[in-house]
Amino acid sequence: MKKRAITLYINGEGYDLNVPVHHTLLQVIRDQLNLTDVKYGCGRGECGTCTVLVDDERISCTDTDATTKYCVSKPGKRKAILACMTLAATMDGKHITTVAGLNKDGELHPVQQAFVEEGAIQCGFCTPGMVLKGVAILEKNPKPTETEIRNELEGNICRCTGYVKVVKAVERASELMASKRKR
Amino acid sequence: MSESVVGKRIPKVDAQEKVTGKAIYAGDMRMPGMYYGKIVRCWEYAHANVKKLDFTEALKVPGVVKILGPDDVTQKGYNTTVMKLLVPESFGEVFGEIADLNIFNRRVKHQGDAICGVIAKNEEAAERAAEKIKVTYEPLPIFMTAEASKAEGAKKNGLLFTPLKPGNLACELPDAFFPGKAYGWNDKDGKTTKDLWKKCDLIVEDNFYVPKQKQCQMENHSYVAYYDERSRLNIWTSTQMAKPVQMLIAELFELPLSRVRLVQTTVGGGFGCRLGMVGEPHACALAMAVPGHPVRTEMLREEDWVASETRYPGKIWMKMGFKKDGTPVCIEAHYTARKGGYYTHGLGPPFCGAAFVHGMYKWEAMAMQADAYFTNEVPTGAYRGYGNPQITFVQEQLVDHMCNELGIDQVEWRKKWHKSIGDETWLKGVTYASDGLNDCLDMAAKEIGWKEKKKKYAKQTGTKRRGIGVAIMNHTSGAWPMLLEHTTCTAKLNEDCTVELMAQISDLGTGGHTAMTQMAADTLGFPLEDIHLKTGDSDYSGFDIGAHASRTVYCAGPAIIESCESVKKQLLERAAQLLEARVEDLTMDRNKIISLKGNPDKKIDARRIAKDAVYNFIDPVSGKNIGIPGQIQGYSSFFAKHCSPPFGACFSEVEVDIETGEVKVLNLVNGHDIGKAIHPPSVEGQLEGGAQQGLGFVLTEEYAYDDKGRVLNNDFTDYKMLGPSDMPNAKIILVETAPDPIGPMGAKSCGESALMGPIGSVANAIYDAIGIQMTEAPITAEKILKAIKEKGIQK
Repeated sequence: MKKRAITLYINGEGYDLNVPVHHTLLQVIRDQLNLTDVKYGCGRGECGTCTVLVDDERISCTDTDATTKYCVSKPGKRKAILACMTLAATMDGKHITTVAGLNKDGELHPVQQAFVEEGAIQCGFCTPGMVLKGVAILEKNPKPTETEIRNELEGNICRCTGYVKVVKAVERASELMASKRKR
Repeated sequence: MSESVVGKRIPKVDAQEKVTGKAIYAGDMRMPGMYYGKIVRCWEYAHANVKKLDFTEALKVPGVVKILGPDDVTQKGYNTTVMKLLVPESFGEVFGEIADLNIFNRRVKHQGDAICGVIAKNEEAAERAAEKIKVTYEPLPIFMTAEASKAEGAKKNGLLFTPLKPGNLACELPDAFFPGKAYGWNDKDGKTTKDLWKKCDLIVEDNFYVPKQKQCQMENHSYVAYYDERSRLNIWTSTQMAKPVQMLIAELFELPLSRVRLVQTTVGGGFGCRLGMVGEPHACALAMAVPGHPVRTEMLREEDWVASETRYPGKIWMKMGFKKDGTPVCIEAHYTARKGGYYTHGLGPPFCGAAFVHGMYKWEAMAMQADAYFTNEVPTGAYRGYGNPQITFVQEQLVDHMCNELGIDQVEWRKKWHKSIGDETWLKGVTYASDGLNDCLDMAAKEIGWKEKKKKYAKQTGTKRRGIGVAIMNHTSGAWPMLLEHTTCTAKLNEDCTVELMAQISDLGTGGHTAMTQMAADTLGFPLEDIHLKTGDSDYSGFDIGAHASRTVYCAGPAIIESCESVKKQLLERAAQLLEARVEDLTMDRNKIISLKGNPDKKIDARRIAKDAVYNFIDPVSGKNIGIPGQIQGYSSFFAKHCSPPFGACFSEVEVDIETGEVKVLNLVNGHDIGKAIHPPSVEGQLEGGAQQGLGFVLTEEYAYDDKGRVLNNDFTDYKMLGPSDMPNAKIILVETAPDPIGPMGAKSCGESALMGPIGSVANAIYDAIGIQMTEAPITAEKILKAIKEKGIQK
């Protein structure tokens, strides 16, 4: 079994790892690091439950702007990718955010907050991926229309909500983030 | 009393753990010394005998611990369903229930049947070894329709699925309970449907097809099973029905319940898929072979379609007779379902389909037959709606057909002829106690603009034709009196006057746990944060049958309420004793101070009573107890006394592209007769999410097979569910104008009700757009184009 030494930064924490070259990022995160907030839903890039955010630059939860405690990134910097479709060996040096890395000191990220407030969570299995997709949408486009949100959410499957409250939560998060920026 | 929380839009009790990724599902379990299981399934054939099994190469894979074949596990047969525990034993015999499943099989009856299981020290080794197991098969002919299976079964020496079921007839309505093998009733003079057809001025009749739909819950079936050092079998599972499944496991492995522990992990969606056992027998069998090592067995997504149960597909013939003013006279129907390879839920859903016909309209007479034949498909079982989506697709289209023939408004006819208070519900002898259906119809019709749009879409040209449709439904709140509806709850008053509720109540993501907590808070008059609902572990939870039949609020809620009422009563009784007052003269404020009404100075802190109840001492001077000793606990063992069926009315507006056959659902308004919404966002969530599954049934979702009976679309790309950009922004109207006199706090159910309205109303809206009755679900673009080509646009 061929292995490769890599360093992964997950939620600001560095991990020096020796990963089998054929292992996906999902396998490494869930089975090697036991970070189970990233879910396995289909393993073939169809359902979006394993969505994570990736950025070339370090995202530090300690260097957040003064008004917010949650982790931020420069607009459009973080991209949502599917951990099940990514080989871990190709992610050397990358900074990855999972849903557990969004909240800080007990304070939820506005997207998480909006999901709670709107009742957009049912069984919760798609929620980590759905929330991260919401963050990616809003970091790229802080004020998306309903149609834009719906189109961007394609690829993240939910069988519980019919997407009604999920879409509302992303809209609400957009407002929450705007009001935080103003303050 | 603390401020009421029932009916308030509070955050769900489990929202925080789910939104931060902290909720633990069975597949997230990590334990020291854990092994990994892999079930080897037959992917090549839908029907075959296993001639030879060769583990030689597989056992050489480093990390492999053991491989178990059909002879290495219990030979006891089983049935996945918990039904046999929920009915009297004699019922099962009358219905012909059998236990025809085995853990590992020498005869494959559907693609995905389990052959053997690998245990390894890591997941990859388990998967590698599984690939290296050599199975030699002898293929058998496949039977993919009820007709083919029946024909084979009728032959002398025909190939039977099981010798216990002659003719490959898995089940039919038994004569013993249903004279003439039909469910229904005769008119007041004893006349049958057969007698009444001649009275009818208009008869509408057609043959319909309903699809094999998959639940597609997002969490795959995963388990950790562990035969521990105390010789107890532990299983962590996201089952919907924890206690009955614990019992089935105990029976299968011949262990007393005291040696079986079932822990229900967070449930990542159920929709019926986890109603009964799924992969628990296999997971436990593997664990029993390696005592002292937990074994995690996780199904892959592609396995889900071939290894866990589905909706009942099949053919439904229905015939309705009316007077020329639209008065309904009689109805007959016959539902022939494809059973799949095993008996599992037997006639459950087709019978319930008949039952929901029974509960809907005021026919003078009704007779519906139902049967199911074995086929070489993954078995059918429970799926949200349990027979109701299938018959709604048929019944609501035929009602519209009659309205169109007679020129009657579809909404007005339904308002006039649906059953109401005092009429029999889905079950003979059980009558409706509340009815908010006309309000559902009126409010939803107004919201969508029924009259205006009906007129507007009457005459159209162009390639995109719009249509509007309506459908109504009745469902149930729990399955009483057909099935057991029993929940226990222990409410323990903590020493600081907060409350711990212990109950095995399932929350599949529905918000059930939130609603339970709200009901407890209001009953006790305590703030929400003082209540903790503890569920999930058979070691401390009492009996509850689990989540099925839209029962949680209606059947489990009262157990919560009763146990909390008992705590409140005991608390007030002690206060009365200490204050030398009568209970009825006392009141408790939001700070838990109990005082005499009209004399607030005569008071005692409930916290004092709670603390003294536990930390109780003898006063050294008086020699008497300080306060009253003995921890306060409330207990309820609640059996439902009714099933208060909810009604619902749904309107859909569609646009059909007559050149491509594509259907776009533009608007969907669903009015639901909830009685009282305990947690409104959860009720809305059920109805919004159910719409996605209903629209899937009617527009896109069905199994596709190749000529060998192998599934072609066991993945999310080829099994098309409506995505975020396909879904309309469903508008839900919670109708609370008819609180139920029996339901807890006036509540009726909502869990399954959401699918039926969207199914019937979209089918009727498509008819309204193109004037062709589409009799086969799902109504795909291909079928629409074919129908247009054959019949032409009929409007």
